[in-house]
Amino acid sequence: MWMMLKVLYRFLARLLHQLGRGAWLVPVATLSMLLFGINPWTVAAVAGAVVVAVRLPVMAASLLPAALVTLGICGLVLVATGSGATATWAVAAPAVWLLPRSFQQVNMQVAVGKLVQRMTGGPGRVVVVGRGPRFFLPGPHPAAALKQGFGAARSQITINAVRPRPLPLPKQVLSPAHPPRGQVAAIVIHGGSRFPGFVSWQGPGARGGVLLPLALLLLTLGLLLTPQVLAGLRGHVTGMLPWLRRRMLENRWGILLIPVAVLGLSVFGVHLWTVAAVIAAPVVLIWWPALAADLVPVLLTAFAVRGFGIAAHWQALPLPVHLPSTLYGAILVSSRQLALLAGGEACLFLAAAAWLVPRTIGAHAHGMLASQPDPELAGRVQRLTETRDHAVDAATTELRRIERDLHDGAQARLVALGMNLRAVERMLPGRPDAALALVAEARETSLRALNDLRSLVRGIYPPVLADRGLGHAVRALALDTPLPVDLDIDLPGRLTAPVESACYFAIAEALANAVKHAGARRVHIRIRHADGMLRIEVADDGAGGADPAQGSGLRGVERRLGTFDGILAVSSPAGGPTMVVMEVPCALSSPKTFSC
Amino acid sequence: MRVVVAEDLFLLRDGLTRLLSAHDFEIAAAVDSAPDLLCALLDKRPDVAVVDVRLPPSFADDGLQAALAARQQVPGLPVLLLSQYVEQLYAREMLADQAGAVGYLLKDRVFNDDQFVDAIRTVAAGGTVMDPEVVSKLLGRRARDEPIARLSGRERDVLALMAEGRSNAAIAQRLFVTEKAVSKHTTSIFTKLGLAPSEDDNRRVLAVLAYLNC
Repeated sequence: MWMMLKVLYRFLARLLHQLGRGAWLVPVATLSMLLFGINPWTVAAVAGAVVVAVRLPVMAASLLPAALVTLGICGLVLVATGSGATATWAVAAPAVWLLPRSFQQVNMQVAVGKLVQRMTGGPGRVVVVGRGPRFFLPGPHPAAALKQGFGAARSQITINAVRPRPLPLPKQVLSPAHPPRGQVAAIVIHGGSRFPGFVSWQGPGARGGVLLPLALLLLTLGLLLTPQVLAGLRGHVTGMLPWLRRRMLENRWGILLIPVAVLGLSVFGVHLWTVAAVIAAPVVLIWWPALAADLVPVLLTAFAVRGFGIAAHWQALPLPVHLPSTLYGAILVSSRQLALLAGGEACLFLAAAAWLVPRTIGAHAHGMLASQPDPELAGRVQRLTETRDHAVDAATTELRRIERDLHDGAQARLVALGMNLRAVERMLPGRPDAALALVAEARETSLRALNDLRSLVRGIYPPVLADRGLGHAVRALALDTPLPVDLDIDLPGRLTAPVESACYFAIAEALANAVKHAGARRVHIRIRHADGMLRIEVADDGAGGADPAQGSGLRGVERRLGTFDGILAVSSPAGGPTMVVMEVPCALSSPKTFSC
Repeated sequence: MRVVVAEDLFLLRDGLTRLLSAHDFEIAAAVDSAPDLLCALLDKRPDVAVVDVRLPPSFADDGLQAALAARQQVPGLPVLLLSQYVEQLYAREMLADQAGAVGYLLKDRVFNDDQFVDAIRTVAAGGTVMDPEVVSKLLGRRARDEPIARLSGRERDVLALMAEGRSNAAIAQRLFVTEKAVSKHTTSIFTKLGLAPSEDDNRRVLAVLAYLNC
């Protein structure tokens, strides 16, 4: 027995070691069954957790804090609403927090009504047990209150006292013959033909005692683990950033698919297919960006149709209306007036769809069908126009700086030199000693003028860059930097001069930031060229907090690189480390040689 | 003393040959491009070469490349590089073979012809001459380092002049002290930096430059 235990322990320990922290995802997912009961959602979550923990242990480890936090928040929501119903708490929970008490009752009743209607689709059984929160279904007879709330579904419901097996019910099980005293704690609805299963509606009295500390514990654990996982992810994410930025520039309308899919949750309600749509949206966006852009107006039109349907349905009914209220976008439709408002919202959706059609579907169809300009081509033209403007601006600014530097520096010194020489001319016959001093001064001035010109030229086009190209110029830059700089440069040829110059000044800017602002102790620069793409990484261990949107330096770099379709991405959390990644598409040429 | 001058601007080349002739140098060749320079260095085997870094045909660092190529075939061939800019990177490459007999100066230094001619003679004699700008950059880079920070102000001055390639006598003259005082400073510097003391001027310069990570 002891041996068996030992073997089992060893096996478990090895399994845990192999799977790492990600293995904890499975028990955490199992907790969701405790919170929400055993239903398709939680079963799917556990199955997904097992698959992820086994196949992608690293991803499982990074998902763990998110799962903990989500469960914790869900648990808190459950405590707050006293509701265990998976299918409707997402609808009901905001209402419970936002709406006044009297409204909550209606809303809860309506929600239960909707639930029964949807779950049973025919005669079902409802079990009413125990004590519950005060605001939930008050009145002398909960069964009667329920019936009232069910509205249209009323005729299909028979209320029975049946003990459902999987739920640990409180002792007091009520039958219609013995109506409950006080408030209702739990309603257990046994499904009919369409959705076999059950949904529980339990108050804090039944489960809240354990739920609240459990939810808080999960939340705390999740929040504690989050920074670690984020730090671990940062390396991966920074590598992905240029790629993401490129995608975002290419698919400006496809991005909308994600918020629209999320909006679908509140328009069509939380169903398997709406949740699936939310999950599918980023996948579609990444793999088929054009399709994503096309789907946005289609979805918006579907929202509009649904909105018009709701409005028409409410208007068609005779007064007084007995319909369960429906959530539509931002409006909880529970009266004819609100239904009209929902119609207005539907109009907005339709207008947005109409505005998007020529920009997405229309443009794509044009590109496919006729000789009309390709939308991607049009987007490219726009991007080129923007970057050309930046380039022209930058060139003008640079010329003005050079003009000013020459004017204030070398030119002024040459004027002084001329004046000195003129004075020497006058003094030479009478006071040769004083003239000699002036000549010395003139020579000093010419040296200063040379110095000025030298630093000016270095700012325009550094000599080593002109002589040897980017790799050597960065080496020279590193030598002139008062910090240890690790270089990892692999450039077998030369780049074109404009790209070299832009990249050089980008690296110089990043390096200067690391020295001046970040207070770094070590900088790492990595340069690679592969598949027609130059990739530069500048990482430092400084204080972080660099923001290209605020500092004009990095912004200028981004614009300058943009002229060559280059991308700049900065990851610089407060406290560091900072990583600047640049990618520029360009070709390498072979280096020149000569011999005697 | 036979010298090869490589400079692409006619005015400067002319000025340099005149200056050198006036100081009793024999001009073995005055060339204006890197391939010509390489051929002149290998054919004429001068006592010293004064070379502009930037030369035709590509107007990049062709002069430096030609000088390095010549020194590969004739180790220790004395070369004094002149440039509008001084780059630590190029200084390193010149010093890399540890053979000495190299110099690297800003073109401005030509203004002071006595010092310039001294520098050429030092290089021709197998010594090393670095521009003060290179040295100040090297020292600036290492200023925060522990051993350098322990040097006194005067010792740092001596270290800089040593790195430029000056002899004790020249340093003494420059700092207005006796040669004995300078030699006391150098001993102290070598002790503080943990370098083996050396009587040979050139080896001393190379040690100092190596210490400064040049």
